[in-house]
Amino acid sequence: MMNISQSTLNSPLQKLDGRTKLIALMVIFILALVFSNPFVVVGLLALVLITWWIARIPWSLIKDIMQFFLVIAIIILVVQVFFYPGKINLFRISDPIKFIGFSGYITLDGIEFGIAMVLRLVVIMIVAPLMVLTTPLPDFMLALVKLKVPYRFAFIMTTALSLLPSIQTHSGIIQQAQLCRGVTDFEGKNAWLKIKASAGLLVPLILGTFRDSQTLDVAMSSRAFGAPVKRTFLLESHFRAADIILLVFSFLLLAGGIYLRVRGFGIL
Amino acid sequence: MTTPEPVVELEPQKPITRNWKSKGRILGIPISLMAIWAALYIASSAIPALPVPGMAGMITINAIMTAISGMILGPAAAIANAAGGIVAMMLFPYGFSAGPLGFLTVTMGGLVAGLLFADKWVLAAIAEILIIGSWFVNPKSWQPGMWLIPLPYSAIALLVIIIPPVRKWMRTSILTLHKVWMWPAVFLMCTVGHAAEFLTTNTMVNWMFNLSYQYWVPTMPYWVMVDTVVIAVSTAVGVGVLIGLRKARLPQYADNLEK
Repeated sequence: MMNISQSTLNSPLQKLDGRTKLIALMVIFILALVFSNPFVVVGLLALVLITWWIARIPWSLIKDIMQFFLVIAIIILVVQVFFYPGKINLFRISDPIKFIGFSGYITLDGIEFGIAMVLRLVVIMIVAPLMVLTTPLPDFMLALVKLKVPYRFAFIMTTALSLLPSIQTHSGIIQQAQLCRGVTDFEGKNAWLKIKASAGLLVPLILGTFRDSQTLDVAMSSRAFGAPVKRTFLLESHFRAADIILLVFSFLLLAGGIYLRVRGFGIL
Repeated sequence: MTTPEPVVELEPQKPITRNWKSKGRILGIPISLMAIWAALYIASSAIPALPVPGMAGMITINAIMTAISGMILGPAAAIANAAGGIVAMMLFPYGFSAGPLGFLTVTMGGLVAGLLFADKWVLAAIAEILIIGSWFVNPKSWQPGMWLIPLPYSAIALLVIIIPPVRKWMRTSILTLHKVWMWPAVFLMCTVGHAAEFLTTNTMVNWMFNLSYQYWVPTMPYWVMVDTVVIAVSTAVGVGVLIGLRKARLPQYADNLEK
């Protein structure tokens, strides 16, 4: 499990405005979804990996994410390789099996499409943590509000994020208590036992944290949450030169990507 | 001799109402509670439970949270789930096979179940019909056997929503915490929440990864098994949480209904 602390990594990315990072993130998401040519998706992946390196995030995090993904990536590759209706036949495996839609051939298009789908997923998976791991909570909240996300929704998101370490601690304590009673299924390999054990974890966890919500409610009320006055912020954010350069680059990338996609480039 | 003091007629004090319009609340639920729920949601997204064949992800414990969210937070569950889903998607992307818009799936799960629990059944039915209809927008959904995919649980969910006696019995059993009937009622409510979530997910991944009947039809028994397990465990958790919340007098959506 990825353990999240409130501290973010000190890097050039941390100094960027939160809005810039959110917009760049959306651009990468969109481009990953619109292109299905593996070479284009490899380009996007390279861009994300370079950003990962600049952000000084440990590479082991990618490994953590990918360990959940390796087997299923192979399955998605196999499904596309066998069933994608390609035109360039590479080799014949069997006679056509009509009822499962298999042509009998492995096609070049099928292999390319399968690789593109897997790479698309890798890009989507490893780009998202870049935002959270390089943006301090107050900056994240400010970015959301400045992007016209309703304040109360942004508050829920950022408060949830700040409460996460405390909930993970609660969860650990409950697991320890269960361990003392002989329940050892939380970290086991058996999915059924694990999901069954989760019931014993979730009920006390939910009830315990709901009790804490009352304290939070009082704290919010004492600070006049929701008072009908113009909200001001302790921190202010401004676009700097680096933000403007990244924003221009992102918009050019998006516009270029959409133009190329409309012209039929980058798809199979 | 002292003259008696004149009796001052006090204006009757206005009752303090904390309705859905209150500043610290959204749809009748305190924002603090929604933030706590979102945090729980994020934490549960970090616990992988079951693999998803052929897709970028794992079914995580957050599936349980989505299934029970409607009964605890009402329609506000959609907002709390969305907030938790967006952050969870960035931190633990392996739990979101539908990619960047993956949070919409948990939003829909909370919305349909929450609306039904709040007795806004027409809105719940419209949302469920839209979800089922969106599955058939993709041309691939007209391939052989693909009509089977929404059948097991989404069809049940729709029936539960539109048949008045079932709907009323289910809500009453949950609201009164009936000793026996609460269990099947919570099971049905979890079915509604989970069905909305998983069919939205299926529709989205169908578009994203170009999946066809060669994927869906053979894996369908696995899905039915996974959904049943998730709903069964959600029922156990849901019953425990609902009873616990009532006994500990902690806030929940049912408080608004009782008022």
